[in-house]
Amino acid sequence: MRARSEKQMRQSSSEQTTDILAFEHADLGYGRRTVLADLNLVLNRGDFLGIVGPNGTGKTTVLKAMLGILKPLSGQLRRDSGARFGYVPQRQFIDEVYPLTVMDVALMGRYPLLSIFGRASRRDKDFVIECLRHVGIVDLAGRAYRELSGGQKQRTLIARALAGEPQVLILDEPTNDMDIGSEHAIMELLKHLHDKDGITIVMVSHLLNIVANYAKKLALIDGGLRMVGKTEDVMSAKNLSDIYEASVIVAVCGGKTVALVGGQDA
Amino acid sequence: MLNVFSDPFMRTALTASLIVGAVCAYLGVYVVLRRIVFVGAALAQVSSAGVAIAILTGKDPSLMSLLMTLGGVAAFSVKSRDKRTTQESLIGVGYAVASALAVLFVAKSAQGEAHMLDVLSGNILTVTSQQVWWMAAIAFAAIALQTLFHKQFVYSAFDPETAQASGVRAGVWDLLFFLILGVVISVSIKLAGTLLVFAFLVVPGVTGLLLSQRLGRICAIAIAASAIATVAGLYASVRMDLPSGPAIVACSFIILLAAWVVSRFR
Repeated sequence: MRARSEKQMRQSSSEQTTDILAFEHADLGYGRRTVLADLNLVLNRGDFLGIVGPNGTGKTTVLKAMLGILKPLSGQLRRDSGARFGYVPQRQFIDEVYPLTVMDVALMGRYPLLSIFGRASRRDKDFVIECLRHVGIVDLAGRAYRELSGGQKQRTLIARALAGEPQVLILDEPTNDMDIGSEHAIMELLKHLHDKDGITIVMVSHLLNIVANYAKKLALIDGGLRMVGKTEDVMSAKNLSDIYEASVIVAVCGGKTVALVGGQDA
Repeated sequence: MLNVFSDPFMRTALTASLIVGAVCAYLGVYVVLRRIVFVGAALAQVSSAGVAIAILTGKDPSLMSLLMTLGGVAAFSVKSRDKRTTQESLIGVGYAVASALAVLFVAKSAQGEAHMLDVLSGNILTVTSQQVWWMAAIAFAAIALQTLFHKQFVYSAFDPETAQASGVRAGVWDLLFFLILGVVISVSIKLAGTLLVFAFLVVPGVTGLLLSQRLGRICAIAIAASAIATVAGLYASVRMDLPSGPAIVACSFIILLAAWVVSRFR
C-alpha cells in the first residue's frame, strides 16, 4: 500500500496538469429528462473536488456520468481510459440483508481486476487486508457488515474502493447521517488519502460546511454548473446566497470556514 | 423406514424430491435475500398456466410451461422506472392473472381437471426415472452456474450501482439469475407441483438464514433441511396415507420452527 502510494504521489506531481476527465457542453439526465444542462467541468489529477448544491439538483447525476454509468444525453465526456475509478456509494443504497463480513464486502473491490471466472487469490486477500488496515478497521475484518456503525460501514466501503487500486475516488454523501465525531474522522481519512497517497478525490455532499473545509476545488450545482473554482473563491456570501436563494453569510470560526443561512453579517 | 423406500417407485420419488429440494433450497437462499419470494410463487403459477394452456391446446406441456415461465422472467426481472407502481405490484398482477388463466383454461378442457390437480399439489410418486435424470442435469447446471458466477450475482444484488460502476453489468446478471430460477421452477413443477416447489424456494432458505451468518453455510443448511424434510415427509405420507407434497412442506415447517427456537437461544 505504501509503495503504491509513493508511486501515485510521484505520478500526481509529475502529471498535475493532465485531465482525468472533462465534460464539454454535456447535458445529463435520464431518458428524455435533462437534469443538468450544458456542463463544462474538468477533473485534474491531484484534485480534491467537492460538488455541492441544493438537494435534487443533479449532484449524484454528475457522479454517475463520471463513473460511466450514465452517458451524456448530448455534448461530450472525455475520460482518461487508463485512469481507475473507485466508487463509494451512499450507504443506504446497499442491501444490508446479505450476510456478508467486512472482508467479503471489501473483497468486492478486487472483482474488476479478476477474470469473469476468477477467484480472489491469497495476494488479493492480503491486499484487501492492507486496505482495511489503511482505513483503520482491520480488526473488524470478520465482523458482519450489517452490524457495524455508520462510520465503520463507510470505512468498509472506502476500503472496498481502495481495493481496486484507484487513482480517483468518487464518494456520494460520505458523511450522511453521521455524528460529528464520525464525520470528522471520515473527512480526515479522505484528507489523508488525498494528501499522503496522492489519490484524486471527488465528493458530493449537501453539507457545504464539511466540504468547504476539505475540498481544494468546489463546484456549485443547481440544475447546471453555477460556479467552479478554488474553494476560497467560490465560498463567498454572494455566490452562496445566489445558489441557495437565501441570505447566506460566510464566517471563519476556530480556523474553519462556515456558511450560515439567515444570520447577521460578521 | 428403509421398508418404505424399498419399492423402486418410492426410490425414484425420493431421488426426485431430493434433487428438486436441493436445487430449490440453494437458489431459495438468494430468492429470500433478494426479497423476491413472491417471484417464485408467481413464476410457479405462470408455469402452471402454461401447462393448462398446453392441456387445452394439445401442445407439449413442458415446452409451453417453459415458454410461459421465461415470459414471466422477462416481465418480473425488469426494474420499472415508473414511480407510480412497484415491481412487487407487477408480480402480484402476474400471480393473480396466471392463477385465473390456469383455472379458466382447465375449465374448458375435458380431461384437464385431474391433470391440473397434479400440477398444483404435485404427485411426486408418479415420477419416471427419465424425468429424474432430466431434473438432475438441470439442477447440476443451475447450481454450477450459480456457484461459478457467485461473485457477480452477489455483487449485483448487494450493491448494483457500484457493481455497474466496476464494470459488472448488474442488469445482465440479474436477468441470468431470473432465467436460471425460471428454468428450475418450470422443470421442478412438473415433478413436485407448485406448492412444494414454492415451499422449497422459501422455507429451507429461511431456516439457513436463522442458523448462520455465512453464505456458504446458509446454503449447506438449506440443502440439508430440504433433504431431511423430504425423507421425513415421504415417510409420513406413506405411513399415514397423506399427500406427499403437503407432508414434505409440513416437515419443512417443523424444521424451520426448530431452527427458530435454536436461533433464539444462541
